[in-house]
Amino acid sequence: MSDLRYVGRDIARNDIVQKVSGQMRYLADLRPGGTCHARLLLSPVAHGRVKAIDGTEAAKVPGFIRLFTAEDSPRRRYNSALFLPDQQDLKDQPVFTDRPLFVGDMIGAVLAETDEAARRAAALVRVDIEPFEAVTDPVTALSAPSFRDGFPQIVEGRLSCGEGAAPREGHAELTTTVRTPKIHHAAMENHICRSHLDYDDVLVVQSPCQMIFTVRFVLSELFDRPINRVRVIKAPMGGTFGGKQEVMIEPACALMTLATGLPVQLNLDRNETINATRTRAASVGTVRTVVDGEGYFLHRETDVVVDAGAYATGGHRVAMAMGKKLFRLYRIPSQTFRTRTTFTNTTPSGACRGYGSPQIHAITEIHIDLLARKLALDPAVLRLKNLVEPGDLDPTGAPPLGNARIKDCLLKGMEHFRWNERIAAEPGDGRYRRAVGLACATHGNGYFGSPYPDFLSMAIRLCEDGTLLVNAGLHELGNGTLTVVAQITGEVLGLDPSRIVVTEGDTQTAPFDVGCVASRVTYVCGACAYEAAEKLKTLFRDQIAEATGKDAEGIELDGEVRFDDGKRLSYGDAVCLIAKVLRQEVGIYHNYAPKANPASFGVHFAEVEVDCLTGLSRVTDFLAVHDVGKAINPRLLKGQIYGGVQMGLGMALSEELAYDRSGRPKNDRFSRYPLVNAPDMPPVDVLLIEEHEPGGPYGAKSIGEICTVPTAAAVVNAVNRALVTELTELPLTPERIIAALAERESNKTGRGGQEQVMFSRTTGDSH
Amino acid sequence: MKISITVNGRLHEADVAPTTRLVDLLRNGLGLTSVKEGCSEGECGACTVIVDGKAVTSCTTLAFQMDGKSVTTLEGIAEETLHPLQQAFIDHDAVQCGFCTPGMILSAKALLDANPHPTRDEVCRALEGNLCRCTGYLPIVEAVLDGAERLSRS
Repeated sequence: MSDLRYVGRDIARNDIVQKVSGQMRYLADLRPGGTCHARLLLSPVAHGRVKAIDGTEAAKVPGFIRLFTAEDSPRRRYNSALFLPDQQDLKDQPVFTDRPLFVGDMIGAVLAETDEAARRAAALVRVDIEPFEAVTDPVTALSAPSFRDGFPQIVEGRLSCGEGAAPREGHAELTTTVRTPKIHHAAMENHICRSHLDYDDVLVVQSPCQMIFTVRFVLSELFDRPINRVRVIKAPMGGTFGGKQEVMIEPACALMTLATGLPVQLNLDRNETINATRTRAASVGTVRTVVDGEGYFLHRETDVVVDAGAYATGGHRVAMAMGKKLFRLYRIPSQTFRTRTTFTNTTPSGACRGYGSPQIHAITEIHIDLLARKLALDPAVLRLKNLVEPGDLDPTGAPPLGNARIKDCLLKGMEHFRWNERIAAEPGDGRYRRAVGLACATHGNGYFGSPYPDFLSMAIRLCEDGTLLVNAGLHELGNGTLTVVAQITGEVLGLDPSRIVVTEGDTQTAPFDVGCVASRVTYVCGACAYEAAEKLKTLFRDQIAEATGKDAEGIELDGEVRFDDGKRLSYGDAVCLIAKVLRQEVGIYHNYAPKANPASFGVHFAEVEVDCLTGLSRVTDFLAVHDVGKAINPRLLKGQIYGGVQMGLGMALSEELAYDRSGRPKNDRFSRYPLVNAPDMPPVDVLLIEEHEPGGPYGAKSIGEICTVPTAAAVVNAVNRALVTELTELPLTPERIIAALAERESNKTGRGGQEQVMFSRTTGDSH
Repeated sequence: MKISITVNGRLHEADVAPTTRLVDLLRNGLGLTSVKEGCSEGECGACTVIVDGKAVTSCTTLAFQMDGKSVTTLEGIAEETLHPLQQAFIDHDAVQCGFCTPGMILSAKALLDANPHPTRDEVCRALEGNLCRCTGYLPIVEAVLDGAERLSRS
């Protein structure tokens, strides 16, 4: 499709000049007068009961306005992930609580005239808390006494297909347990929110969020206000990665505005953002796979304990999302998945780039490599025997996989990365060991086929000067959403994307959209934009025909109006002509609901070098291969992949939110939370498989989440190959690597490793 | 405390409390909101500014320490047109959410002012105190290397 003018091209993102010149105004950069500032009072204990709060000293701070506590909180509780009234997730979170369940739980807030006064006053509030025993480990939480005041301590979910595999001669099996860490999103902009009351009693909330309509719904329920009197506006955003997806600090901010009538800005510091918002859920997964004598998967059982933290939030949705991925990557005739979401006295988990996918793939892909080792097979070969093919169905009845090009990804990647040559190389036996590893992954394209309805609308209009306004409830997260939608509509209408403005969400003016989440933006919203632009084009042509008396068949729309008699008209002049002659606007409203939810795929290849003396691992080379259908903007797409790889490297090697026995966070600041920085990054090569996904705009499908999904497993597999270890507890910190090496040494000198595999291969293969 | 501080080439007299941080003076006092605050402990580099030629985190610097010094923020590096580094950031798509960008560009500029022809390694080292969660740093490093080329040609 080389005739495309804007799609498939490296168009610069719409807001990049503002961003490089420091003119992008994030919420914290706005300085209208009269806004009050709030600071939260966060629980210093992981579990307890507030006996008393004394604001006497705080009230003496000049500029102090008011102290808020649990007594000011609505009796109603909420769940931060809900967006329609019928959704049944547990509503267990109060706005302000006197029964704090984690360090960082909101027990109140201080409102003052300035941020400085709010901080000073908050520091002077005396809180008397009776501390209780804390539960910090999700597995311990399965049997620990519940701290949840009547809410369930375990939420269970299951998925399955097939009928199991009877043990037969020649079959082999392996069981592995993998632990993945609790992770901070680390968007560079901390959480922030502003609210005020507008004329006509409309509560206005500005938030750098991902789901304006979810925020609107939760606020409307919590404060018992009509939905049309809650206006949520998406603010410019300094990163999210799911951390700003659920309703987070908006309820506290809105509560203060509603109670006082004042405009309020609520800022969080880094330490508060880490403790008081959301994390990636920690998980502990045990996988058992049964294979036949040739390495074909016969049956798999996966049991995952997911740490929701202290409140339900979207935690159990994450757990179920994990399970769904298991049925969409390999052909496995029989499979069971059980998850138990448990609760700990730690920061609640929730959405985080991949929504459980990086965790479940770490669990299964590390397991598959260990299985390959036991079977003495190349891990790429074992996977190739079992991977899905284009057109495969999901055995659980979920939507079909679509144009599933995972095998292309793996085969092309193997060639590009020189896999066969590199896998054959010895890791060495000196201080530095080097090896390669890979992992495969799948992820979705929206909500279709899930319990959550997937749809949106857009209104698009040609203006009197021929520019285009796409009125949508979108959220630019920094990933290029607005640019991509401009490219798609521009392609259809022959308009340069620089002449198109795509709006971000404002619940009062934008059509409904479930949110910029679930890897649905390009595939679902992009398809909506495509259809809307086509519809507008048809209307425009008909209007021109009617206004000019010419035949619609003879009108071409290609950035300008071309008549078959050679005459031309600019879009702007045509719009004005239609206004004058027909008294009509050139605009349409289009509703779109996807009819498919294909799978996106990726394979990551990593080369690592491990220093056996220090235990430090360094990723020295990396290849990411992705089945993207079609790259609407290859440069922006690669940018997503580089960032996804970076997050995955952190998950593999350095990032983990840890707690002491009393539930106190050990590393709730950047100086104690090692993120991947520029010198840590390996060169990352990207290979795109563009084989057209039906239903996607110009054949495109998702990339934003899938690109961080296989990373951690690929790195861990490389380390395990380099060291001949079976490391399964992430991240692979130097301490864990040194411990594993020591254990390997003692096993060598002792009786030999624990033999986990039961391999009953006889002489002839039974398959 | 009264201080004289040159910011983006203009001399300012300011009266600051002993606890006022440079980031507060720049953002709240002078309205230079390109300076971002991300961690408040000098770890993320979002608040980086250039002080007498060196990249400094303005959240760990007190305003009174700036008496007699010259500070450059992102607002001060471009005049009529974008600085070649800014243009290189655009051309390499070295920006996603944009929150780390001002600090990144200033760390890069401080490097290039002192070392106009850095190696890739030197660029990575110069940016090691600037965290970015979006880009994986690779386009940023490319942009800085390209920016060095452009500056040496201009």
